[in-house]
Amino acid sequence: MRHHLPATTTLALAAILACSTDREATDTTTPGVALLTPGPVSDAGWNAGAYEGLQRIGDSLGLRISHQQTLTPAEFDEAFISYADDGYGLIFGHGFEYQDAASRVAAEYPEVTFVVSGGSRPSANVVALIFQLNEASYLAGMAAGAVTQSGVVGMVGGVEIPTAKGTFVAFEAGVKAVREDATVLETFIGSWDNVSAAKEAAAAQLREGADVLIHNVDAASFGFFQSVREARERGRVAWAFGMNRDQNDVAPDVIVGSAAIDYTGMFLRTAQAWRDGTLGEPVYSGLATGTVEFLPNPAREGLIPADALERIDRARQAIIAGTLEVPSIDFIEKEDPVSSQ
Amino acid sequence: MGDIGALSSFLVSAVGLAVPLVLAALGETVSERAGVINIGLEGSVIWGALGGALGALAAGPYAGLAAGALAGGMAALLFAVFAVWLNTNQIITGTAVTIGSLGFTGAVFQSRFGVTGLALELPTVPAWEVPLLSRIPALGPAFFDQAVTVYLAYALVPVLGWFLFRSRWGLVLRAVGESPDAAHASGVPVARTRMLAVVFAGLMAGVAGAHLSLVHTGTFAENMSAGKGFIAIAVVVLGRWSPKGVVAAALFFGGAEALQFALQAVDADLPYPLFLALPYVLSLAALAGWFGRARAPEGLALPWPR
Repeated sequence: MRHHLPATTTLALAAILACSTDREATDTTTPGVALLTPGPVSDAGWNAGAYEGLQRIGDSLGLRISHQQTLTPAEFDEAFISYADDGYGLIFGHGFEYQDAASRVAAEYPEVTFVVSGGSRPSANVVALIFQLNEASYLAGMAAGAVTQSGVVGMVGGVEIPTAKGTFVAFEAGVKAVREDATVLETFIGSWDNVSAAKEAAAAQLREGADVLIHNVDAASFGFFQSVREARERGRVAWAFGMNRDQNDVAPDVIVGSAAIDYTGMFLRTAQAWRDGTLGEPVYSGLATGTVEFLPNPAREGLIPADALERIDRARQAIIAGTLEVPSIDFIEKEDPVSSQ
Repeated sequence: MGDIGALSSFLVSAVGLAVPLVLAALGETVSERAGVINIGLEGSVIWGALGGALGALAAGPYAGLAAGALAGGMAALLFAVFAVWLNTNQIITGTAVTIGSLGFTGAVFQSRFGVTGLALELPTVPAWEVPLLSRIPALGPAFFDQAVTVYLAYALVPVLGWFLFRSRWGLVLRAVGESPDAAHASGVPVARTRMLAVVFAGLMAGVAGAHLSLVHTGTFAENMSAGKGFIAIAVVVLGRWSPKGVVAAALFFGGAEALQFALQAVDADLPYPLFLALPYVLSLAALAGWFGRARAPEGLALPWPR
């Protein structure tokens, strides 16, 4: 036990240095904007998009920016508090899972604004960023219904949280709007980054006859796309959809299109409103605001038949006009049931 | 697709999910038999996955496997320097190595391939078909039409079984794990034996990681080890510190995971978290002795000299 303490401390320090923050030198005169992501930003999806949004805020508004990846829920409170203490006035928690920690910390820091992506309990200084990604997922579902030959379509999700589940109920409705007799399979792998689990979950759906698959995972999508690619190499009909961010260039050979959020636009608008003092109500982003969209893959032009594309466009207009309601999972709680603590 | 075809591809999934666990757990069995529990195994797996990816891009898949093994071994060597040589607490040191490895590999990946990442398409290790055996209905494709990493796992089971329980060196290694004081008194270099055992486990975990990126998925993502190093440690317990038991336990874990995906694909209303938890519940049961006597090496996780 001689060297016990110093050695362990050194290692722990190395670990702490290695695992996160690209925080710049503290300069408290420029207003600061910070971002917490639940996973690595190298996922070319949900977290990467938020990171790009943060960069845009820094570039366009000249604000001080910082990003941190939280590894476990135990770190959520700590990360919010450390940013608030460092003078960051606007802190994004990029995911439904940050809501509780944001509510707790916000009560202690009334002058700081907390934004929760997919947040469920807005309050005075906790703003919900609502991505109506279910609208784009519905259109993706219509495309899937037109592309599938087997009539079996699959969905591979991370954790069954309302924001993820919402995209799946809408996708399923979209598929059935085009192809009433379709079978829609659903699998959750219990993780956003587990590449091999996503691969095998997709493989299991392909075995059940699915030939068009959509995902709602983060870095695990790389394994999901690989599964579809391998099925094609074995001579199967198999297609995939991108989700959360425009992923058409992530796997251009297998992707039909992406149900995507324009994070840079959303984050920039939110930061502008915060700077101008007009941020308060939940910020909605859907087809109507142009910050959520279904984007067919330009590298696979012609894959979605022309008449299906027309139908999809009519549905898009109807959703914007409010005459077509897309199924969703409602998760905004009007009143905080357990008052703040 | 016929029933045999469905069973066959289910088995392919199960073996695919089990092999990284088999490789990492076989290595960890040797390490724990020598008295060292390495929670940093997860770090060796992610280093193996990244080392494999970088090696394969530079010089092909087999170089990738070697690079992955080496990267995993290096992470374990770091752990061993602290936990064996400097006698730091094994659990804390292992945790630090794992957390640090997840962070460092992420930083390397981002600096090489861009901060927002991309879906790498890696050159994969080709499968070798074993003549005749690969034609066995259902079992053939899953067990005998696989990459070299899978055959390595097969070969290591009898080899390690012989080494641990039949050879002189194995006896020495187990003595170090059971009673380091007695081993020391009879002239065995305890620290050196433990160092070698830990580095061997790291090399194996590195191969497991390289298998993930170069055989199973053909891509790399941050955190793609996804707890496999930790599960491998549970597998060692469930397999009761013997190579044969470990393989059976790993196949069970892989099979359970593949089964829950198969079940979910058929019926979406299953409570999937229950299935995700099942293997861990069984590990606890094994620890509690429900499947017969489960005894850890006497000197496991204890620093030496005290």
